[in-house]
Amino acid sequence: MENDMLKGKLVRLVAGDPAIEAQEFCRWGANSEYQRLCSTDYALQFSAKKWKEWFEKDMEKDPPLYHYFAIRTLADDRLIGGISLDGAAYPSGETFVGIGIGDETDWGKGYGSDAMNIILRYAFEEMNLRRVALDTFEYNQRGIRSYEKVGFIHEGRMRGYLNRDGRRWDMLFMGILREEWEARNR
Amino acid sequence: MSRQLFRGNLVRLAAVEPEEMSKAMPRWNLDTEYYRMLDSAPPLLWSEKKVKEWIDKDLDKDPAQDLFFSIRTLADDRLIGFMSLFDYSGHTGDALVGIGLGEREYWSKGYGTDAMRVMLDYVFNELNLRRLTLIVFEHNPRGIRSYQKAGFVLEGRVRGAMQRDGRRWDWFWMGILREEWARMQPGE
Repeated sequence: MENDMLKGKLVRLVAGDPAIEAQEFCRWGANSEYQRLCSTDYALQFSAKKWKEWFEKDMEKDPPLYHYFAIRTLADDRLIGGISLDGAAYPSGETFVGIGIGDETDWGKGYGSDAMNIILRYAFEEMNLRRVALDTFEYNQRGIRSYEKVGFIHEGRMRGYLNRDGRRWDMLFMGILREEWEARNR
Repeated sequence: MSRQLFRGNLVRLAAVEPEEMSKAMPRWNLDTEYYRMLDSAPPLLWSEKKVKEWIDKDLDKDPAQDLFFSIRTLADDRLIGFMSLFDYSGHTGDALVGIGLGEREYWSKGYGTDAMRVMLDYVFNELNLRRLTLIVFEHNPRGIRSYQKAGFVLEGRVRGAMQRDGRRWDWFWMGILREEWARMQPGE
């Protein structure tokens, strides 16, 4: 057994604290690029108060709507982002993963890939799932490279799904099967 | 996608924190010159409690009925006003925009125009609207000039719609189309 299955090489996954998370989510959201990489919804400005309510409501549901983890650096225990799995993973044995690294200065440093590796291990070894899926957008080249690096396979694209900055962008579907993950981590 | 949607040259559009805004708004509303530019209804002095209730109720709607932003200076992150987008209509691709700069020392210095330009970028590039509409009063020439500078065109007037200080004043309807805005952008 791994000592701490929620610990990677650069980051670890810990419980989210609504009061702390709310402040950071509000700050990260000021950057519209971050929002546009995370979501198909149009960018909005949510207050810390609103984020806190959302976290509290979300985490209080039983069973939870998402399995949400905060991402903290191993080096200095800094909160740098969040990662979540869809709560309703059974009986199909599939879940959907979403990830966000908040500060631009933390992008492109391998934190996201490391967090994704942890969550895949969690999904396959602890939740015993069959597959993990995600979607991302054509303009998120950094994200796509990161997902490819941890083993996600391109499965399809919804053409022209998004309309942003005066042109249309594809939404990409990616997924990884249990056997693919096992083969990579044997 | 690396462009910043909510950031202008002087101000940014940010979230409305109910605690903070409900302290600022009643103070701004004491200035009747400000209030009369903002609203055609007779000035009503709402309490902090009342404003907070209104914001809480308004922001809690999911999906939000109106989009409500605070205007903050880039220089020192000071809250100087608000901006809202309402009567959004998906099928016509139109919405109404409202703006209020409560802190008078920021009037006539380009802050309002800057905020409006940020809003135009947001509605055309993120919300994908076809046009944006506003109403301004005849007794607000500073506002009218600012809107014209941002690209709004006078589209009509409701003659004598208001009576204030012993005379009647028109309402001006102004609007800007997506293609008019696009032609104003650098590189077009």
